[in-house]
Amino acid sequence: MPERYGRPPQGVRPTPDRDSKDWWARLAGHEFAVQRCDTCHTARFPPRAFCPVCRTEDWRWAAVEPAGTVESWIVNRRPFMPGASEPYIVVLVRLAAVPGCLIHGGWDGDREPEYGQAVEGVYADMGDDLALLNWRPTEWHASP
Amino acid sequence: MAKRLLEFRDRTAVVGVGYTPFTKDSGVSTLTLACRAILAALDDAGLGPGDVEGLATHRVGDSAAPSLVGPALGLADPSWYLDQFGGGSVSHAVVAQAALAVAAGVAETVVCYRAINARSEFRMGGTGRGLPVSPEVQYQAPYGYFAPPQQYAMYARAHMQKYGTKAEHFGQLAVTQRANAVKNPRALMRTPITLDDYLASRWIAEPFRLLDCCLETDGACALVITTADRARSLRRAPVLISGAAWGGGDSHLSGGRADPTTTAAAALAPRLYAQAGLGPADIDVAQLYDCFTYSVIVQLEDYGFCAKGEGGPYVASGATALDGALPVNTHGGFLSEGYVHGVNHIAEAVSQLRGDAGDRQVAGAEVALSTAQPGYILPATSALLLRKG
Repeated sequence: MPERYGRPPQGVRPTPDRDSKDWWARLAGHEFAVQRCDTCHTARFPPRAFCPVCRTEDWRWAAVEPAGTVESWIVNRRPFMPGASEPYIVVLVRLAAVPGCLIHGGWDGDREPEYGQAVEGVYADMGDDLALLNWRPTEWHASP
Repeated sequence: MAKRLLEFRDRTAVVGVGYTPFTKDSGVSTLTLACRAILAALDDAGLGPGDVEGLATHRVGDSAAPSLVGPALGLADPSWYLDQFGGGSVSHAVVAQAALAVAAGVAETVVCYRAINARSEFRMGGTGRGLPVSPEVQYQAPYGYFAPPQQYAMYARAHMQKYGTKAEHFGQLAVTQRANAVKNPRALMRTPITLDDYLASRWIAEPFRLLDCCLETDGACALVITTADRARSLRRAPVLISGAAWGGGDSHLSGGRADPTTTAAAALAPRLYAQAGLGPADIDVAQLYDCFTYSVIVQLEDYGFCAKGEGGPYVASGATALDGALPVNTHGGFLSEGYVHGVNHIAEAVSQLRGDAGDRQVAGAEVALSTAQPGYILPATSALLLRKG
């Protein structure tokens, strides 16, 4: 039997900074964006001013498919923060769009992730112009 | 290798070690703990507060600053101090920088300390207070993720998946370190445990159980650093600082590390060994930062004691036990002695090289490695190579 999982804390909202404010605004509009360097075209996440490869400042947002593979995950058996119903899963995803980039997120599945499993992002609207990005198996919605 | 760093080899020494008791509730301020440990360390060295020319600590907004400790101990015009922001990853960098100040002649004698009420006042990653100030928090905390056991569990899982590391490997490490703590009167946890005890301990964040996690501890530890020349005339046998390295490297930050199963220590280790003119085979005893079981296993690999991916089997072979090829965390480590955010590892390394570690003494120990948090939490790590003077 697949194990039923709880949900992470609901009340913890991100505090965007001057580098990330627009990224969060795009995520709220269900767009997953990374930065692409105008000079060398290297993609990067999370948002920051300089390209770490060519050290130039000019860049633009590039909307990409939120897709990747499972690098790791944990099953939280303690609440850790108020408002959680454990056990809840946090997953570490290797992004397809940005080589070498790992991103954390919630897990939107009713069984445990698998190492190397293909996953896609799911936008979770949290109200007040905030969305978070959770992850689920890529074939999840395609199965009959 | 910068030439100046080679000149730094064996120029400075640790000449005093001081502790407060390790407890779950000290009942006193971190300022009080700091003063007690510093005075104990000076006494151990045969020195007094009048000899102190510099003070150094690391902290995360949770403890007494050098600028408070100096006046509290009536120190007249300290000529050098360091108030290093950061957690365990910078613990050894503090001593490294103190040693540089001493070698440069800025201050002849410096005391490095760490004082924490990490159980009764300020729990690392704990709830009930504001989140840490770091841009990275926004990408993790909304998912219910930012406490150190969660972060380390995430990397431990990746290592298990990639290399076949097993829960039993983590468990054997916890069992081995507890056996050392049984022989350490200072240790908080002195009841032996078995692998079954480990496997039966409750889940915290899978793959971590309770016994994968270090002890939230109230306590302080201090070290007196001076020149190798002066050390020869002091009370205790000097322990020379042969290598002291710190560095960056990536971290758990989103987008920060392409391979989560290798730490910043892998980049630092070659520089550290070259500076000291030593290698893994020369090390008689190692105190490896054990905020969690997994951090020891990955450092055994990244400091070159075994091949990448072989850290688990290396521990299971018994190599890290007191009678093994490389005794590790001979005091019981943060898992079983107590957690003073890196500094009690250095103190234990000094004790082993002095030969005063009692029932847990490693016979003939002449070279010791002591390491900081290997860089998963903040993008930095640091380490010391110490040698019997």
